[in-house]
Amino acid sequence: MKRSRRRRRLLGGALAGGLAGIVTGAVIATAAPRAHQQGKGGPDPAAMIDAAHVPPFLTLPGEEVTLRYAIVCPTAGTAPLAEACNASGDVDVRAGSGGPFTRLPLRRTEDSTDGRYAVDVPAWIAASGAGFTYYAVLRNDDTGASITVPSGGADAPQRSLPLDRAVTVRLGPHRFGGVAVAADRVVDAPWGAGLGAVGLGGSPGGLRVGPSSFDVAGDGTVVVLDSANSRLERWTKADVSAVHVDVDGAADDMGLAPDGTAYVVEGGRAPVVRHLARDGRALATEPLVDRTWSQLRMGPDGPLVQEEPSEQWLGAAPGLSREKQARSGRAGRTLRDGSEIVVLRTGVGELRVARVLGSRVRAAWRILSDTPLGEVQLAEPSGSGVAVVVKTYTDTADEFLVLVLDAHGVARQFSVPSAEWASGAPLARFRLLGSSLYRLGSTPDGAFVDRYDLEVKQ
Amino acid sequence: MKMAVLAFVLALFATTVGGAGASNFWANCNYAAPASNLNLTRDGAQTYSYTAAYDGYQWGGGCWNNNDVDEGWGDPPMDVSTHGEGADCSGLVFKTWKESENTADAGKYYWNPLRNVHGPYTAASFRDGVGAPNGLISKAYAGVMDGFASGTHVGLIFFRGSGGWDQIIEAKCEACGTNINSQTYRSQSAYGGIRRIGWTG
Repeated sequence: MKRSRRRRRLLGGALAGGLAGIVTGAVIATAAPRAHQQGKGGPDPAAMIDAAHVPPFLTLPGEEVTLRYAIVCPTAGTAPLAEACNASGDVDVRAGSGGPFTRLPLRRTEDSTDGRYAVDVPAWIAASGAGFTYYAVLRNDDTGASITVPSGGADAPQRSLPLDRAVTVRLGPHRFGGVAVAADRVVDAPWGAGLGAVGLGGSPGGLRVGPSSFDVAGDGTVVVLDSANSRLERWTKADVSAVHVDVDGAADDMGLAPDGTAYVVEGGRAPVVRHLARDGRALATEPLVDRTWSQLRMGPDGPLVQEEPSEQWLGAAPGLSREKQARSGRAGRTLRDGSEIVVLRTGVGELRVARVLGSRVRAAWRILSDTPLGEVQLAEPSGSGVAVVVKTYTDTADEFLVLVLDAHGVARQFSVPSAEWASGAPLARFRLLGSSLYRLGSTPDGAFVDRYDLEVKQ
Repeated sequence: MKMAVLAFVLALFATTVGGAGASNFWANCNYAAPASNLNLTRDGAQTYSYTAAYDGYQWGGGCWNNNDVDEGWGDPPMDVSTHGEGADCSGLVFKTWKESENTADAGKYYWNPLRNVHGPYTAASFRDGVGAPNGLISKAYAGVMDGFASGTHVGLIFFRGSGGWDQIIEAKCEACGTNINSQTYRSQSAYGGIRRIGWTG
């Protein structure tokens, strides 16, 4: 009798435990995917609206300015995703950066290659010596959904400044193959998981993801974000060390603060900036305002992230509210001395760079190349000028072009091999410390950081 | 009590770890014929591709529900039998570009996001311009909803960035999902420029 009761108790306990396990498991399984989601309007297609726009940050004298926007939204009807939507919008624009805005309606054009909706900025505004500022409110006329670009609206409008006295540099056609030799290889890491190696992620036969970013501390220590191994590795002249960090293993960008802590921007679905202690502990996490980021750099008051669709540099220090982040938007990246560096790649082979103080251009360069120019990987003050690293490419070749610009034009110029065997954060290949230019590259053997000397010999 | 705890642990394992990657999202998908559709605008394609953002990646897949949740997250990579949510890189391009499963047919066909179809092309075949609807373009002149393809990956231009990079919409990998990312494919020699023939605006 006792044994029978005991058997019943055991059976009952097993049944109850099993049932509880199934219910708990089901709850976890249901909840798990939601940890990886981000809203773009949620499941309701009517709420979906997004936009894209490339601002004319820097304009030439007499240049006609047309602002173009892509508006991404569904149509009304039974197949709302089969066609372009029925949208409209207004651009509020003004000369300079103060006073009332003038409202201009966007016109719908026949072509959407660079954005279907457009407005011509009146010449008296476009030609203003103080430049002009503007923002747009874009609407889906079928559903009423709307979006403001940039996110800060009237509080942080987009800004365009005139390049009255830019130094023009004509590069001519690029000759591939004449690359410079690095002064030093400061990191030479094979693929792997051991200390001193770096992880290779991605999928077999698919995209390869190597170390996603790096930065250089004031003492010359090179810190590599080894995402595949979830760690930060530090290379000094004497040794290598590593700390574990919780990052998503994708192509994240990073910057080092003066106190040795690190900021990492990560995530596609719900982009965040993580603040990490020297020992890798997570100190804070801050969600970004916009859906997409392109790069992170350290500003005078913490991390700055260039974000889209605002196409601005936004403050992303932990504790900043979404509103404060949006209101902090700037066309250029703010430097420690309070000035900004503004970059615009336009057309096929033109690059405009300006150093701006207040709302005035203090120095500017217009670089024209007969070979197409790609992304600007770096634009940093260097001596009395600016150091720029830009990709130059054809359909079959590519190299990085390093330019040291001064008041007369190009003070120094050389090429660096692309060495992009494994992918990483898009704009995290170069860092500048003093006159040392560091570049992160990869080959089938592993990853490396090379140092180039930018000093201009008189 | 011990038996209850043991049963709890076993059941929990079976329904979570053991069940990972077995979401069978494809049970929600359909196999209806596509609708012939003469319009093929770049911003229409932009909107269509945008519905796939945040909805996951499935190797060999092509079905998603636009609710911003990857319902097959964490599936083992390169295994079509996991039947997770989302397209892979070439499946996303095929559906966004309104292509036919017949490579000789350059016509335009609207596929509902929940229609489970990958299409006949790989990233490499897009790179090589295989198929009647697919062409090549010099990368410097690629615009919205043209793309960049390598031997292993393909993505579409959502818009240009101000500094010479591009916002790319791409189904990138199981862990990365489908998203709009800033990328520098335009300037990388591993990637070629690709375009859909027959844009109408």
